[in-house]
Amino acid sequence: MKQRLTALILLCALLTGCAAAGKGEQPLTATVLAMDTVMNFTLYGGGMGEEQLRQALSGAEDTLRQLDAALTAQGAEGEAAALNAADGAWTAVPQSGALLQQTLELAELTGGALDPTAYAAVKAWGFADGNYRIPPAEELEQLKADIDYTRVELSEDGAQARLAPGQQLDFGATAKGWAGDLLRQQLEQGGITSALLDLGQSSIAAVGTKPDGSPWRIAVQDPAGDSGDYVGILELSGRSMGTSGSYQRYFEQDGVRYCHIIDQATASPAQSGLAGVTVVADSCLLCDGLSTALFVMGLEDGVRFWRENSSLGFDVIFITDAGEIFVTSGLKDSFSLADGEEREVQVLE
Amino acid sequence: MSRSAKGIAALLVLLLAGSAAFLLLRPKGEGQVARITLNGKVVQEIDLSRVEQPYTLTIDGPGGFSNTITVEKGRICVSKAGCPDQICVHQGYISDGTTPIVCLPNRLIIEITGGGSGLDAAAG
Amino acid sequence: MTQRRADGPYRVVRLALLTAIALTIFMAEAQLPPLVPIQGVKLGLANIVTVYAVFVLGPRDALMILSARIFLGAVFSGQMMTLLYSAGGGLLAWAVMAVLSRQLTVKQLWLASPLAAVFHNLGQLLVAAGVMKSWTVMAFLPWLLISGVVTGLFTGLCAQFLIARLERISRGKDPGTKED
Repeated sequence: MKQRLTALILLCALLTGCAAAGKGEQPLTATVLAMDTVMNFTLYGGGMGEEQLRQALSGAEDTLRQLDAALTAQGAEGEAAALNAADGAWTAVPQSGALLQQTLELAELTGGALDPTAYAAVKAWGFADGNYRIPPAEELEQLKADIDYTRVELSEDGAQARLAPGQQLDFGATAKGWAGDLLRQQLEQGGITSALLDLGQSSIAAVGTKPDGSPWRIAVQDPAGDSGDYVGILELSGRSMGTSGSYQRYFEQDGVRYCHIIDQATASPAQSGLAGVTVVADSCLLCDGLSTALFVMGLEDGVRFWRENSSLGFDVIFITDAGEIFVTSGLKDSFSLADGEEREVQVLE
Repeated sequence: MSRSAKGIAALLVLLLAGSAAFLLLRPKGEGQVARITLNGKVVQEIDLSRVEQPYTLTIDGPGGFSNTITVEKGRICVSKAGCPDQICVHQGYISDGTTPIVCLPNRLIIEITGGGSGLDAAAG
Repeated sequence: MTQRRADGPYRVVRLALLTAIALTIFMAEAQLPPLVPIQGVKLGLANIVTVYAVFVLGPRDALMILSARIFLGAVFSGQMMTLLYSAGGGLLAWAVMAVLSRQLTVKQLWLASPLAAVFHNLGQLLVAAGVMKSWTVMAFLPWLLISGVVTGLFTGLCAQFLIARLERISRGKDPGTKED
């Protein structure tokens, strides 16, 4: 009897030991403050050594800080800031030239719904420094005239650019997406096969899937809910997503909410009937830029744009001010509602 | 000792060791999603890691009174309740999936499902 | 007292005595702080009486004592929820003991007690799950299993010890001597 009991106890100990050993691979994570937001990076090393993994992570952080400094419109070293201060003169854009080129292309593609020169209005409404105000009508008229991406010029070699006098530009709508793509490339070259780059929630880029092959599960914020309240879960495998919403940054006056996304047609905060737009695609830059553009366009025009540009390979989640949830057909299987969510998802073909 | 007595002794040892092992070695959930269930139906899911400002929400349950839930970054608790025992209030905050908060008279359960929903990030 | 099965007045007295003991333990236990944050879930110390009764008096008498204790306990403590939990836990424990009553002797009380306690707690949790309409409460099972084994073992050993001493007394021997 005693022997059997001892054997049993030893067996239990063995089992618990095994349970402890098989706890699974632990990722390397980092929280970085950059581009005016909090970013979270999660890297799995797979078979690589810990030192190599750390180097990959710190390399990514370095690149991020470099980009942040180069692209900002508010710091002294920022190329956007230099462009803005040049008042129409040619300015060197060694780090941001390529980004500027692609941003302008997106602007043209979206018919101006995305327009980097809307920064003038962003500043006028107070979103740059926090001194919120409603600009008077004459100022808005002037702004409307100034906001025009077609008047931004890039030199042949892409090393220089200039704005038209009176214009102001920033990369607010595309910088994070750009960083997401660059960082993802860098990590892949460094041998990383499984990582998640959360660039402040509005842009997320995935490298592959999780180590066990399952997709990353990303919660989609409910525009009408409190922070942390989410409406559904999106499964992401090796792709990116970008989100623009009226709830991200806004101020309220006299019961009206003014958000930070400017509609270039009115030089005022967009009021298109949409509360949140999430774009899913391979390129993080595309997601970032299109989410802003589609938000400005509104549901009807946004859906039309999606149908007419299927070659771009992107899908969208639209959430209207009324709380309706629309999802384009490509996301049918990867988007699921949260438990307890009573609304229905309407699939767009 | 008879055979069945040995069997029972073995069973008890197994249960004891198993429970202890389970409690000590259970992996901590990766995400921090608080799931609020009322009368068996999920009422709300909140990603606690994304909560910026603490806030409260009040739920009226079938017990005829309400529970006031305080949601903070990384943890949640029942701060006020109309039940006679106040066990749920005394339990305080929970920040991982080890134990749920239960208010029996109101059929309210708050549990943190890290592994269940398994959220890796939040977009918004 | 421990071996003789009696009929008539002896039986009634014995049943009443055991019921009183069970009830007292139950009420005393109710004063302790809650084991888990579910209102009404108890340690189940009073089950030692059920276990003892099953072995010495038989399952039927034990069930009578149990039922009386559950009912009176709920009345005295003033909470009907308690009745549900006591019933769920107590009956499951009793059932398991009834099945095992042929396999074990009263000398193995210390072994049967933790088993009964475990099933008592399991029964309580199942009732809680039914009331809450959710399996979430089963998260407390590991805690309750450990507590069941520990408290059951404790009460079982105490009872075993007590019975051994009582036996010596009833045989007219000095409880201090080691004769036998």
